[in-house]
Amino acid sequence: MTRIALKVNGQAVDRDVAPRRNLVDFLRDELNLTGTNVGCEHGVCGACTLEIDGAPARSCIAFAVACDGASVRTIEGFDDDPVMIELRAAFNREHALQCGYCTPGMLVTARDIVTRLPDADEARIREELSGNLCRCTGYVGIVRAIVSVMAARKSSSGGR
Amino acid sequence: MTAPVEAGAKGVGASLPRKEDDRLMRGRGEYVANRRVVGLQEVAFVRSPMAHARVLAVRKPEGAEQQVFVLADLDGVKPIRAVCGLPGFRVSELQVLAGDIVRYVGEPIAMCVAATRAEAEDLAELVEVDLEPLPVVADMLAALTPDSPKVHAHWDRNAFLESMVDDDLSTVKRDAAIVVRRTVRTARQCMAPIEGRAVVAEYDRRLDQLVVHSATQMPHINRTGIAECLGIDQASVRVVAPDVGGGFGYKGILLAEEICLGWYARRTGRPVRWLEDRYEHLSGNANCREHHYDITGYADASGRLLGIDCEAVVDAGAYSLYPFSACLESAQVSSILPGPYVMDRYRCHTYAAATNKPPILPYRGVARTGVCFAMELVLDAIAREAGREPWEVRMANVVPSDAMPYTNITNKYFDSGDYPECLRRTVAALDVPAWRARQTRGEPDGRRVGIGLAIFCEQAAHGTSVYHGWGIPMVPGHEQCFARLSPDGALELRIGTHSHGQGMETTLAQVANEVLGIDPARVRLIHGDTALTPYSTGTWGSRSMVMSGGAVAAACTVIAERVKAIAAHLLEAAPADLELADGDVRVTGTDHSMTLQEVAHAWYRQPQRMPPDIDPAGLETTAGYKAVRDTGTFSYACHACAVAVDTELGTVEILDYVIVEDGGTLVNPMIVDGQVYGGLAQGIGSALFEEMPFNADAQPLASTLADYMLPGATEMPTVRMEHMTIPSPITRFGQKGIGEGGAVAPPAAIANAVNDALHDLGVEITECPITPRRLLAALAEAKAGR
Ligand code: FES
Ligand code: FES
Repeated sequence: MTRIALKVNGQAVDRDVAPRRNLVDFLRDELNLTGTNVGCEHGVCGACTLEIDGAPARSCIAFAVACDGASVRTIEGFDDDPVMIELRAAFNREHALQCGYCTPGMLVTARDIVTRLPDADEARIREELSGNLCRCTGYVGIVRAIVSVMAARKSSSGGR
Repeated sequence: MTAPVEAGAKGVGASLPRKEDDRLMRGRGEYVANRRVVGLQEVAFVRSPMAHARVLAVRKPEGAEQQVFVLADLDGVKPIRAVCGLPGFRVSELQVLAGDIVRYVGEPIAMCVAATRAEAEDLAELVEVDLEPLPVVADMLAALTPDSPKVHAHWDRNAFLESMVDDDLSTVKRDAAIVVRRTVRTARQCMAPIEGRAVVAEYDRRLDQLVVHSATQMPHINRTGIAECLGIDQASVRVVAPDVGGGFGYKGILLAEEICLGWYARRTGRPVRWLEDRYEHLSGNANCREHHYDITGYADASGRLLGIDCEAVVDAGAYSLYPFSACLESAQVSSILPGPYVMDRYRCHTYAAATNKPPILPYRGVARTGVCFAMELVLDAIAREAGREPWEVRMANVVPSDAMPYTNITNKYFDSGDYPECLRRTVAALDVPAWRARQTRGEPDGRRVGIGLAIFCEQAAHGTSVYHGWGIPMVPGHEQCFARLSPDGALELRIGTHSHGQGMETTLAQVANEVLGIDPARVRLIHGDTALTPYSTGTWGSRSMVMSGGAVAAACTVIAERVKAIAAHLLEAAPADLELADGDVRVTGTDHSMTLQEVAHAWYRQPQRMPPDIDPAGLETTAGYKAVRDTGTFSYACHACAVAVDTELGTVEILDYVIVEDGGTLVNPMIVDGQVYGGLAQGIGSALFEEMPFNADAQPLASTLADYMLPGATEMPTVRMEHMTIPSPITRFGQKGIGEGGAVAPPAAIANAVNDALHDLGVEITECPITPRRLLAALAEAKAGR
């Protein structure tokens, strides 16, 4: 067991973890944060995407011990985030989710695209989404939702 | 049949945003893996590393006797048997943990229980299994040869079932000016929902009941199956399917794992869970789509179909599983191969071959994807022979509009539709002349452009007679809904089907709105729990919107009558003069009304206000439903696309994709679109990417999502979709099942487009997925042959 101290959704967490414990299991099983889903456990599907120190990361291939000192933000930590509120409205409007299993990871990636690449076109959005698999929607609503949030943000910021 | 949808309408026909989204987007979905239980232990299975072997010994690690379990420990547990009712079916038995023989890679051999999955896996590694290899049957065609080793030693042939639709083809053979014979093959696939299978088993001492949370599409069927295999009363089992992360057929099955965990929870009283990981899914559960066709089409010189002759083999894997059995897929092949076409003669011989591969399960579209692929390739080949545009040949062969309803050559009753119009609209939307002109000009980058289309019809929500006719061990009957108007005027609906992405919490609330005028926001759907819902065969076969939609409407109709009876008394009006709208009961043509809430309040809390002759059954009821005919709705669609083929790299890019679909009355058009788009993505996966290769030892060769390619956002083209909404005359609102169709036509449409691009090079692809390796091999072969 190794002692780690980190921030999860703004709260300080101090725990002993087994060295082989990956971050997503640690969050789900020890902190009861079950919003982050597991789809492949080998870093391909993106279902487990969350933020580590402000950047999207795959929590299935991150070890909890490696997150000592880090700040982790899971889907539960985005409830009141203004961008996420817009994205949730757009995902709902554009039918960007069906079973919802990929959705938490998809939203974290979407938020990253919207904030990091405000001028991305549809092709770039699709490229950026290539690390998140959805088996239900064919990505149609997901891409539309992201495009619409970007457009709305641009027009509200005076169309920089 | 349905009026145009008014703005702000919330009933049938409205694209109402989904009620279920909010919790799922906030990470509050309750999937099986999220279930927290004190003392929960985890399971890892020891699985067979060989495709066919005799199990000589399984040695538990020392000191772990109470944590590792083999078949001999599972006293009283029966094997899984799914016996098809058709004559000649050869019966298999899957022991829930291996008996003497293992028959596919991934078959469970021992169950290991520990505090965490990691520790359970550690334990599994210490279990010693002695296997003696047996000859492996890896290929379905070789399996059927007389000297093939046998998957089940006591069988005389590696076939669960052989069946024949026979006809005399001598006249068509004599008259045909065009004869095309093709060998067509589709690869084995993984359905790959992003959530794998998942089971949590607990024992409820108070009720003496095993409670199984399982990621299933059919909780009642699992309950029946678990009880039967454990040899206990069904009352002693409760199955809960909470939020489920996608099904597509993968979760329409009674699992050996459920029975193992159920046995353990009952035996020890301790809760236990198993979460299938991606490795288990990919390496042990590539279980769908693998077909082989030797198909001949006979046509006259103009391309009019005279007959089809086909020998079709479905690789059904090693065992027949419950509830769909090893025969559903092959039974479908022979009955639906003729597709939307008229023909004089039809002969089809099918085999459900047994191999040392995972047992087959019906994937979205079931046999339709393979059948459509085979048939539509043949139609294109006929068109080339006839020197006509493929769409023209189809126009000459589809069931004419004025022939509907139509009974086809295999006795399928096409309830409604306009196939020629569907073709016309698709061809117009794709703009065939523009693509032909572009083809003539050539591409500046040297790629070759081609266009292709595929049309199919899809029997959905098919009922008793169809499933009985196919001999499937599970035969659907009537569907029920329990409805209750609660004292606060909200409506509770309980149904036995399950929603795992289909959005039924929304669409069934729309149905309730349609009948009762209640706001969908005040409707709560309860599903996925055998303790709380009416028995049902569950969600499969694009049946839920037709069957549960019909049942919800039936139950709401009863509630509406009872509401009117109460309101009539309170409003001093005749029930016949009352109407339900916007949450009110109103005397028609007046402003004299009361709310549903007031009616419910009066019934529950002021019974003194009720008249003496009021129906004591009150504001709750269970009502049942069956469509006017149980032969199913026939939705249909035409898919057309344009592709660019790079003959150097062997890659295919989809430049345009058009779908014209008839799902009848669309209860929620937004959700229908979503179903079709999702199906399309899976169909594009089948067409271009997804394949589980097996080597000669039937070892699966793709064990991660980096080897098994699922389509991502960049692989999806922009799609244009149009709807024809010809109501089904046999369902409650005219709705047709459309959950699967999107996945049916893409391999055919895309392959036809690729062949259109390459036919002057002498290339004709008849296998999918059309991977660069396959395409380059075909190009090289054509070059060598010229
Ligand atoms: S679960 Fe982490 S990438 Fe798939
Ligand atoms: S919504 Fe089901 S996997 Fe994306």
